[in-house]
Parts: sequence; C-alpha cells; structure tokens
Amino acid sequence: MAAKKLRRTRLPQELCERLSRCQITTCQDFLCLSVLELMKVTGQNYYDVQKLLRKVSQACAPKMQTAYDMKLANSINPSSAFLPTTLSGLDGVLHGGVPCGSLTEVTSPPGCGKTQFCIMLSVLATLPVSMGGLDGAVIYIDTESAFSAERLIEMAGNRFPAYFDSDEKLLYVTQNVHLYRELTCGSVLKRIMSLEEEIISKRVKLIIIDSVASVVRKEFDTKLQGNLAERSNFLGKGASLLKYLAEEFSIPVILTNQITTSLSNSLATQADLVSPADDLSLSE
Amino acid sequence: MHRAVGSLPLAPALRTRLIAAGFQTAQELLETGPCGLSKEIGISKEEALEVLQLVRQECHGDSPKPAAASGTSRKCTALELLEEEQAQGYIITFCSALDNILGGGIQLTKITEVCGAPGVGKTQLCMQLAVDVQIPECFGGVAGEAVFIDTEGSFMVDRVADIATACVQHCQLIAEAHQEEDHLKALETFSLESILSHIYYFRCRDYVELLAQVYLLPDFLSEHSKVRLVVIDGIAFPFRHDFEDLSLRTRLLNGLAQQLIILANDHKSAVVLTNQMTTRIGQNQSTLVPALGESWGHAATVRLIFHWDNGQRLATLYKSPSQKESTIPYHITSHGFRDVQPPAVTPSAEDTEMNPRKRPRREEEQ
Repeated sequence: MAAKKLRRTRLPQELCERLSRCQITTCQDFLCLSVLELMKVTGQNYYDVQKLLRKVSQACAPKMQTAYDMKLANSINPSSAFLPTTLSGLDGVLHGGVPCGSLTEVTSPPGCGKTQFCIMLSVLATLPVSMGGLDGAVIYIDTESAFSAERLIEMAGNRFPAYFDSDEKLLYVTQNVHLYRELTCGSVLKRIMSLEEEIISKRVKLIIIDSVASVVRKEFDTKLQGNLAERSNFLGKGASLLKYLAEEFSIPVILTNQITTSLSNSLATQADLVSPADDLSLSE
Repeated sequence: MHRAVGSLPLAPALRTRLIAAGFQTAQELLETGPCGLSKEIGISKEEALEVLQLVRQECHGDSPKPAAASGTSRKCTALELLEEEQAQGYIITFCSALDNILGGGIQLTKITEVCGAPGVGKTQLCMQLAVDVQIPECFGGVAGEAVFIDTEGSFMVDRVADIATACVQHCQLIAEAHQEEDHLKALETFSLESILSHIYYFRCRDYVELLAQVYLLPDFLSEHSKVRLVVIDGIAFPFRHDFEDLSLRTRLLNGLAQQLIILANDHKSAVVLTNQMTTRIGQNQSTLVPALGESWGHAATVRLIFHWDNGQRLATLYKSPSQKESTIPYHITSHGFRDVQPPAVTPSAEDTEMNPRKRPRREEEQ
C-alpha cells in the first residue's frame, strides 16, 4: 500500500508528472513531506494541498470495519478460526486452539517438547476439516535441523491409526509438509519474504518456524555495540512480515523460542531469549 | 486587513510574484481588484479572482468576532475552561485505583500514552476503554463511540465481546439496585451488539497507512460525531524497524502528535496511544525507557507506564499536569481490567464509584 504509485490514485496527470520530476512517485514519498514542502512542489495553495492530501490518503488508508462485523465474520466460519491442538486442557485455555490469523509463540527450556509439538501440529494441519484439521500444506522452517520425517510418520500412524490405515495417506502427509533448512538470519528473512507466493501455490495452511532464537543467538552477540539495534531490526521485519501473512491468509503461524537467564539484582529469572522489543502477539 | 502578503496561504510561485511586484498587505490586493491584479502580475483574470477570494476568506477568518468559536483560535478565560472541564466526563477504566490516580479516569481532549513491556496489559486497557466509552450517561459514562486503530494486530474480537458482556452485566446490576426509568431505558440500547457495532476498527500495516488514516480522521470524526475515543494501539511498532532516517521519523511523529492534539480538541475526544519500551544502555547499566526517543515524550499530556514487579502488574502515573506521581497495582481478569481487591460488595459503594454525579441526589433521599 505504501508503494502505491501516485498515478493510480486518481490525481491529475500533469500533477503526477510534475511530482515525478522531483522524485515523488509513490504515496509514501507524498505523505512523508510536510505541507509547506508539498505547496512548493505542487505549486498550489494551502487548501488545495489539503484536498490532495486527503485524496492520496484515501488511496492508501485501510478500510473500516466495526467490531460487530468482525465478530459476525468469525462466527460464520468457526472452524476456520482455530486449529485445535487435541490437548483438551490447552484447547480450553486457548478458547478453541491455536488461533488463525495471528502469531503464536511456544517457548520452553530445552528438552520440553517444542519440536515435538510442532511436528504434531504439522500432522494435524494436514488432516481433513472433518477431523479437526485444516486440510492444507505446512511450511516448516527448521533452523536447528531437528525435524525428523520418521518421527512425523510415527506420530501420524500412532495417533490416528484408524485414519492412516494405508501407506498412501501417510505419503500424502509427508508430501504436504514442506521443509526448509535455513541456517542464518539473512536466509530466514529471505525465505519469509518469498512465502507469499508459495502459500498460494501450495495451499499452505500453517507456518512453523523452529526456532527463531537459535539463529538470532548464533549471529547477534548482544554484548557488542550496535548488535542490539540490528537484531531488533531483523526481528521487527520478520515479525511484521509474518503478521501480514498470517492475517492476509488467515492461517496460524507458530514460532518457537528458547529460555535464557536474565540476571537482575534480586534473582536470576527465566526470560524468553527474543527480547521484548519484538512484541509478538500471544494468544490468551 | 493589514496582513502581510507573504503570510497568505497562496501558491508559492504566485506569492513571490506578488511580493516582487511590490504588494505588501492584503488590503492593497483587495483594493486593486481582479482585472488590475491580472494586468500587473501577468496572470489570467480567473486566477486573479481566485487569489482575491482566498484573501477575503483569510481576512474574515482573522477579524475578531466575540461570539465565534472558530476551530483555529479560541480565546476564553480560565474560569470558562474550569467550568468546561468540570462538566466534561471521564472515561472510567473499571479499575478504581487507576481512575483515582488519573483524577477520575481518562480525560477527554487530552492525549494519554500508555507504555509497557509486551504482555503487561496495554491492549487490554485499550479494549476496556473502547467498551467503557460507550457506557450511557446515567451510569456515569460519556455515551460515545470509539475508533480503534491497530498497527500490531493484537485486537481480539472475542476478548472485546467478553469485556463488553461483563460491562453490560455490571450496568444491569446497578439498574436492578436502583429501579429508575432512565437506567432501564438506557439498558435497552446498551447491549453487546450495539457496543461492538460502535467500535470502528482500522488495521494499519505500516506507517504510511497510519499517516494516511490520521489525515482522514478529522473527516471521519465529523461524520461520526459521537466518537469520544480514538485509540492507536502500537504507535511505536511501524516506526521502530526499517527506518534509517531518524530525522524523518522525528518529523513524522511530531506531525502526527500535532494532528492528534488538534483532533482531540476539536472533537472533544480522548486520544489513547500505546508505546513500547526499549532498552537505554547507560554507562554501566541499562534501563527500560519508553520507545521513540526523548522528543516523543512531549507529545502526550498524560503518561502511564505499566510494569511488572514480582508477578504483580503495576501502573505508574509518570507524567500528568494535574495529578501527582503514584503507582497502583491492577489485575486483568476474564472480565477485563480490574482492581486487585474487588470493590465493596454493597451496591451503594459500587454506585459511588460508577456515578459520582448521582451522589448528591442519593444523599438527599437518605
């Protein structure tokens, strides 16, 4: 929306050409200027510039919804609002399961079962809707090389023996889980940026990133100057891209995180590794 | 009438031409007339007429009219302001300790900023306020509507529905205790559906959409004149990452703050912003401070900082022109934002919190 060209905002043609001579071609460039600069660049008076601002704003502003419309939209299709985890206690606390359309973070000390949980959810996502799944493919971005396809099949076969009675069905599950091994922050970010087209072409219904913390920990040593800013930058970019994908396609996105010790004056408390600068939205 | 030509909001090219031709005050322009102007400057007669119309509009706006309350310049005495402020309602937060330290609740016509680490309850407070602004006047509310601008995607409709249901139940309890006509009539329109339909939600994905939306807000608020609350949840998020030019960021944020102040004043609504915390690395220690830098600290009139202390959530009033700095604990329950100790069970105590305006009448009755 920010990169929308001014040509498409129904501004008069000569004005667009005049602006492009000053290197103002997108809505972003236009809205970042102050009113005085706009008057100089467009050669129009104050009131006309205000009208132009409103026109350009209308071209890139978001649409209004009332909370009631959102609730109706949710209630029309309740099955598509959550992915049940089949752990009844957890589903009860989460009001139905892992929510679609937002990011969920799973964090724990090592060995508690985060990767197992992710593999379980991959199986669940490929199940048909009648069995509580999402009937779609899964994109699994693995940074620790901890994913095991054998474990996937073992889980599927033992958990739903009645459903997975033939080899074809197991094969279908494995074909629908797309695994990407990324080992650096840069490649993780590039992969996230390329996901939009893959989601549409492969009918993906779940994105799992296991784990964000390991690449960040490897590459950014927070004791060094300047690393904190770069790390926050990377996390912020990744988070906003993932949020956009989650909302646009109404699919759940799961991230795993590690535990680190935060040393404060009183006690050493356990804290999530990915710092609060991230502000990912957690489900209740 | 004696306004200098250089200060008129004309197109810059025209302005330079007028000054080069020797015009100094607006009076001279009006005396020359459109034909004379077009001959002297070398512009068409239509353009000259436009210039004169603009000049006339500007000059009439400037001349002092005692009764006019134009949006741009209002003169009034402090007494009038005092009366206005006392008549104005507050948006209660359902946490009486927080309302007390704020002096009654979130004030209209002021910008309130809520800062805190993630998970501490900023979005919960925003959702609570979006419901509380709609409480009818007979129950102590301002009976307004809410605009919710979300930049982080943390608005959960089901949670708002829970908070709204709890609020409606609370009002129903009061109505039952009092059995008055206006209470019951107000309750007919104060239901879950009406609350949800009066929360106008905008999802802004990046700072350009946020800027565009804030430019369009004055028109929106003129159409929906009952809006009394504008919430921007996450003003920091779109500006924090991916912004190399820090001076541009400061300039955009200042422009945003000014527009919001004008909005709050013209439409008599409260503006609530939420901000993130960032780490400031000092010489030998690092502290958590609100994000977006020092200059942003001047934008908000009232600043609240939410933080944790050994598992208890605390709210500190960090900056306020009228109340003193203090810290109170609060809870987030399934019904929303609440006090740590539940308020007294007797209905009279509850009502004094909800309806401060009703207190004199009840004392007379008793």
